[in-house]
Amino acid sequence: MKEPQIIVCAKQIPDPEAPFSNVTVNVEKKQVAVDAPDVISPYDENALEAAIRIKEELGGKITILSMGRKVSDTVLRKTIAAGADALVLLEDPLFEGLDSGSTAHVLSCAIKKIGDWDLVLTGRQAGDWDSGQVGLIMGEMLDVPCVSLARSIKIDDGKLLVEKSVPVGYEMVEASLPALVTVSNEVGELRYVARSKMLGLLRRPMSIPKWNSKDLGCDIDRLKKLQLTELVPPADMGRQCTLIEGAAQDQACRLAEVLSELR
Amino acid sequence: MIPERPMFWGIDYSWLFYVIAFVAICIFAVGVGIHISVWRKSKSKSNTSISWQAVKQSLLEIVSGARLFKGDIAAGTAHFLMFWGFIILLIGTSLLAVHGHVYSFLTGTTYLAFGFFMEIGGLALLVGITWSLVRRYVQRVPRLERRLEDAVVALWLLVIACSGFLLEGVRLAAQRPGWDEWTALGPMIAGFFPQAAARSIYPGLWWGHGLLCLAFIAAIPYTKLFHLVGAPASYYLHHSPVTLSPDPEAAFEPGVQWDLAQRAFLDACTRCGRCVEACPSAGAGEPLAPRAFVQAARQSLWREERPAGDIRFLLDLDPVEDRSAWFCTTCGACLEVCPVYAAPFEAVGKKRAMLIEEGKGVPDLMNQTLERLFNYENPWVSSKRDRAAWAKGLDVPVIKAGGNNEGFCYFVGCTTSFDDRAQAIAVSFSALLKQAGAEFGILGDKEPCCGDIARVVGELGLFMEKMENCTELLDKFSVSDIVTSSPHCFHTFLNEYGDSSFRVRHYSSVLKELLAQGKLRPQNRVNATVTYHDPCYLGRHNRIFDDPRQVIRSIPGVKLVEMEHHGADSLCCGGGGGRMWQGQDIRGEARMSEIRIKEARGTGAGILVTACPLCLIMMEDALKTVGYEGEMKVMDLNELLLQSLSNG
Repeated sequence: MKEPQIIVCAKQIPDPEAPFSNVTVNVEKKQVAVDAPDVISPYDENALEAAIRIKEELGGKITILSMGRKVSDTVLRKTIAAGADALVLLEDPLFEGLDSGSTAHVLSCAIKKIGDWDLVLTGRQAGDWDSGQVGLIMGEMLDVPCVSLARSIKIDDGKLLVEKSVPVGYEMVEASLPALVTVSNEVGELRYVARSKMLGLLRRPMSIPKWNSKDLGCDIDRLKKLQLTELVPPADMGRQCTLIEGAAQDQACRLAEVLSELR
Repeated sequence: MIPERPMFWGIDYSWLFYVIAFVAICIFAVGVGIHISVWRKSKSKSNTSISWQAVKQSLLEIVSGARLFKGDIAAGTAHFLMFWGFIILLIGTSLLAVHGHVYSFLTGTTYLAFGFFMEIGGLALLVGITWSLVRRYVQRVPRLERRLEDAVVALWLLVIACSGFLLEGVRLAAQRPGWDEWTALGPMIAGFFPQAAARSIYPGLWWGHGLLCLAFIAAIPYTKLFHLVGAPASYYLHHSPVTLSPDPEAAFEPGVQWDLAQRAFLDACTRCGRCVEACPSAGAGEPLAPRAFVQAARQSLWREERPAGDIRFLLDLDPVEDRSAWFCTTCGACLEVCPVYAAPFEAVGKKRAMLIEEGKGVPDLMNQTLERLFNYENPWVSSKRDRAAWAKGLDVPVIKAGGNNEGFCYFVGCTTSFDDRAQAIAVSFSALLKQAGAEFGILGDKEPCCGDIARVVGELGLFMEKMENCTELLDKFSVSDIVTSSPHCFHTFLNEYGDSSFRVRHYSSVLKELLAQGKLRPQNRVNATVTYHDPCYLGRHNRIFDDPRQVIRSIPGVKLVEMEHHGADSLCCGGGGGRMWQGQDIRGEARMSEIRIKEARGTGAGILVTACPLCLIMMEDALKTVGYEGEMKVMDLNELLLQSLSNG
């Protein structure tokens, strides 16, 4: 069997793990400002880890595909440091704030342009909007088998073997290649990328192709923006701590009373 | 007849002995040369001038065997006997050669004295080696391994010692010289042999004994006996003030760098297992084995530096699981007890650096913690904006860039800034400083991370970045005098920043000073029995044992009692070495902190005092999980002292 050509779709988002004080919600402007560095969406990192494990076993090539307006190659070079081989950025003002269907369209166009591929991996959902639709729609658009919520992915004898998470355990799914898989966190975290590796990589020049809507030949009329109708900030999470003293039984009774008062 | 020993009595082809001796010494020299060639591949620069002070210190330790007596008098005595037996016999035999070929002096009384000393040497060796064998194979002392090499080396020495006495007896039986009352065992053995029989077996026995001895010398560099060379080298390199400033570029070079002293330590290790016995992680039933780590590190270094491979031919080792590297708290207990000054925790550090570089097998929580440290300049899930939140409303002076800042900079540190419990250290210390009228300031939300966590978990690139950031910032704020909350920041600034231009102290030393100057006068009685837990990076790593104790003793009413493990033998709380940020997938049968709090409770103390934010959090948690709440309290030194000062 030839060495698998894998494409991993990675989205750059503000760090979802940012400390709470770094996040401000502006209700009027319908904006959430996060004073935090951009990172790769965590589930996409899981997808990359799954891809690297396949590559470690079978060889092949991993291409990272990322769409957005100001995609930072410093953020995405982490994928190269971790073990990916190539980076393709899709940049166009038109690509900003697209809805899931439109995003899937642009990414599918890019995947078709790349041409030679056996497996597309995406995160189960993005860490900012948590829609979880792009991967599945892409499966349709690319007209390939699509397996969601993978907790383990293997290629054996040209066949794809996926353990798909279900609420009570997992299902073993077999599919032909090429295929698309959306990856869940059970796969495991992306391996650690040492700072020395990152810095070494940043010092080296690297040519990264940047494609816009014309390069991709995508249908501009199909690109629809996501419309935010309302933004509701979370309730003020002020902390008020009361310690209930006494014997265990009294504590339990008092706790029940306090909770029912709060209800 | 004048007592003396004729050279090569009854031996033909005696020149052959010298030929074989020459070959043996060559084999020995080649082996030592190979070791040195591996040591010399170290890239780090070290001091080339000889420090006579270090030579003196090393010699003293070698001849006294002081490091071996420490904590194990039986092992120390057995080794002392073997060591001196070996040295006496080696010198004696060499003198015999001088006597025979250079200058004849071993006659009459001198010879009798010589014979007496040789007898003592032989007996010491025999007793020492027998004792060691009994300890290893009969008593089966838990820390001792029973590998092929251990058996071969020990039995070899035993056979040499026994055959030496047998040879002496047979010679006396054959010669019947008449002055054999000077020796104890010889005449007894001689009694078993008729003269004729003795004459006929003597040459064979002589050659057998001689060849065993020469082969033993040849085998030294190829077995754990290499510690005969390695340990003295290791002693010297430990004592000689080799100044190594961290090379920022080196952190970005692939591969792990071992300096000269570390290389010598690895080769000096005899697998005695004292580190395993002292290791708090191993003691809590975790899979870390410091000894195995040192051996594995040694092997991987040799594989890397010498394509022809290791020359230790009797070594059969168990594989070491990579995962176990994450269990080490870097507490330094292993170095404290190591007879050859090896620091197994440094070997663990190198392994961690390798794993970080590969990126595989880094525990998930540590992975996230390092990302956080990079992005938000602290290992907690906290924002830099909240760094000075503890000081809100306390009117703590903040140092301004370029301003005329009086006094010292109180470097609060990440954990003390962000952790709810540890913030009490900052609050009480700043209150004490204000009462004493001390000039100080904090850096507020500008305070950076010193990088300690990155360093101890092996993320050296990130540590270098943090160090550069921090140095730059301290320069910008013209900080030249730092006082830290955490012994970890203290250690990092003091020992890991290379040639830094600022002075660093831990708060306990400042409190001691303020008390001595009379600026703090504890008046309120605190009627309590108190025990003190030495933080590893304050005590063992930086030898500050007494300052915190003096502060405790200065408080009226307080009775200080010591735990079984205190001072240099203190037990780790389990929070160091990055363990605080590694979560539950890294744990053993027991928690180190629970073992420690039980020991503290055993003293009958009502308060456990410590001087480190990590220890404070770990011990406070253990207090709750063990269920000592209400019986005992865990306090920071500042909190305790403040109780005797504040009027509220």
